[in-house]
Amino acid sequence: MAPKSYMRVENVTKKFGPFTALNGVDLDVYPGEVHALLGDNGAGKSTLIKILSGVHQPTSGTIYMEEVKRSFRSPREASAAGIGTVYQDLAINQLMSVTRNFFMGRELTSTLGKLRIDEMNQIAHDEMLKIGIDFSDPSQAVGTMSGGQRQTLAIARAIYFGAKVLILDEPTSALGQKQQMEVLKTIKRVRARGDIAIIFITHNEIHSRLIADRYTFLALGQVIGNGTKAELEGGDIRRLMAGGAEIKDLEQELAKI
Amino acid sequence: MSERNESDRLQNESWTQRMMRRPEIGSFIVMIIIILALGLASEGKAFNALGLKNNIAIIAQLGIIAVGAALLMIAGEFDLSIGPMIAFAGMSMAIMLKWGLPFGLGEATPFTAFAITMCMTLGFGWLIGTIVVRSGLSSFIVTLAFWFFLRGLTEVCFRLINQNTNVSGLPDFKQESWFAEQMGGEVFGWLYDAWFWIGQKVATGLEFTAGMTKDEKIDLINYLSFLNINRKMEQWVTGFDARLLWFIIIAGVAWYVLAKTQIGNWIYATGDNKESARANGVPVNRVKVGLFMFSAFCATIFAACQVFDTNSSDAAKGMFKELEAIAIAVVGGILMTGGFGSIVGVVFGAVTFGLVANAVFFIPWIDGAWFRVFVGTVLLAAVFANERIRKRITGGI
Repeated sequence: MAPKSYMRVENVTKKFGPFTALNGVDLDVYPGEVHALLGDNGAGKSTLIKILSGVHQPTSGTIYMEEVKRSFRSPREASAAGIGTVYQDLAINQLMSVTRNFFMGRELTSTLGKLRIDEMNQIAHDEMLKIGIDFSDPSQAVGTMSGGQRQTLAIARAIYFGAKVLILDEPTSALGQKQQMEVLKTIKRVRARGDIAIIFITHNEIHSRLIADRYTFLALGQVIGNGTKAELEGGDIRRLMAGGAEIKDLEQELAKI
Repeated sequence: MSERNESDRLQNESWTQRMMRRPEIGSFIVMIIIILALGLASEGKAFNALGLKNNIAIIAQLGIIAVGAALLMIAGEFDLSIGPMIAFAGMSMAIMLKWGLPFGLGEATPFTAFAITMCMTLGFGWLIGTIVVRSGLSSFIVTLAFWFFLRGLTEVCFRLINQNTNVSGLPDFKQESWFAEQMGGEVFGWLYDAWFWIGQKVATGLEFTAGMTKDEKIDLINYLSFLNINRKMEQWVTGFDARLLWFIIIAGVAWYVLAKTQIGNWIYATGDNKESARANGVPVNRVKVGLFMFSAFCATIFAACQVFDTNSSDAAKGMFKELEAIAIAVVGGILMTGGFGSIVGVVFGAVTFGLVANAVFFIPWIDGAWFRVFVGTVLLAAVFANERIRKRITGGI
């Protein structure tokens, strides 16, 4: 029997005036799985995650969390419901320390708003260690960290503050080869916890094949293919990535010019 | 097998390297240089009993508004309306004390005049902040508009109510009002008492005698001035200006809030990158409006200390003070772009500026305008230094 989906998106559409960004999209995510959401630029990936994280409201369609119908009117509501989104820009402040970033907006305080800084340092250090970075000095400014370490910080923060569905928006783009691998390792460690569903948005077919358990392909606002790793062949993935076009066709088109 | 990972590349720093990274290091070095230079050039007169009092008075005065400007700059905004806010608050208090409370509420006491004025200036601070966060306009332009608006309003109110742009010769409220004494009176008298007591012990046997030449007399007076003794062999100076206490309170509270509390973290986050702060749930707008109000609060305290000290006020009060406050904040290590800085640095900056502004009184051969030459030079140097520190902290990005 299939495991129970943690979050289910049914027939979601989103129209911006005359423009249909999403046209009846379905998505199922399961705890302990990495669900790769793939598609070309303009396929509707960003619109979909903005709906899931409460930035936009869908024009029609429903979102279920653990079989309960939910609608999020703001990012705050989505995050309270357990949806943690790590955007490309990471929402991290360079000049501030790791700990101050980790707890930004959700500081631990005692009387008169005093920060419990030692406790916060300890938690930031421990949470990042859990998913792979031993950052010895959490009072160091984030500006000194590598891109991969910043991703880890943002992911650790989302998990610590109760994310059950972790949405990662292109976490490996704009990183060097080695750091991309570090981020993929981090994603695997989060997956190994077994209680968190990960939505992994990417352009990169190779990365998705390395860690994804399940795929959804978007093109022009519609799902053009989905399935588990076992159901899809490598060739399928590449074809669907390109929005359904065969690389062979593209080669022919290029040859003509 | 090599077990190197990313974090190994960050070397452990020595204590010295750590100190060099601190935002206040530059202003600390400049301050030490100025203290030594002024001490030498004035033959120590800048730090005798009266010199210290006068220097501290101006340091505290500038420091009060610089702290307000600095917090606002860390949150990424400017306030050019500090000077006109001082003039407005001074005018408001002086006119109420002279002509009575508005709406026929009768005679003003120092406290009621202050409280009503504070309500008005906080209201202006709130208005400026709200316009900035709602419109998304640069605070430079919005507060520049309020610079003109408040300067004009101050003068108009003076002329309409008082027929004259200055109020002077108010009764000395410090005599009967405890509140006025806290604003314009003296504090830490015990320090000067102790100084005098020690001075007497040191100076035993010294006295003016009939046979002394003029030069010998001057030397003796100079010597006594470092012992807090005047030429009648009595105590010379009795205490610091009350604004020193206000400076200590305001700087202390601001330091604590910024370095140790949740609101401090919000201030840094707002100035560093307000979008990511907002995405993490920091109430960016409330932080900014609150800090514009705090800046207005500091300007009002500045004005109250001035009014109750001199028992007068006029429309030209607070001229250039907004620029001096910003300059002190920058020299104190606050980044123009926000998100970084410390109150300790601002205190060092205020000491530096206060001493240089007053230097002309202790070094007779110096032209007072050199003060501005110095400010310009140090300001430019500070901006470059701050930029270097920022790059060092963010790893050169």
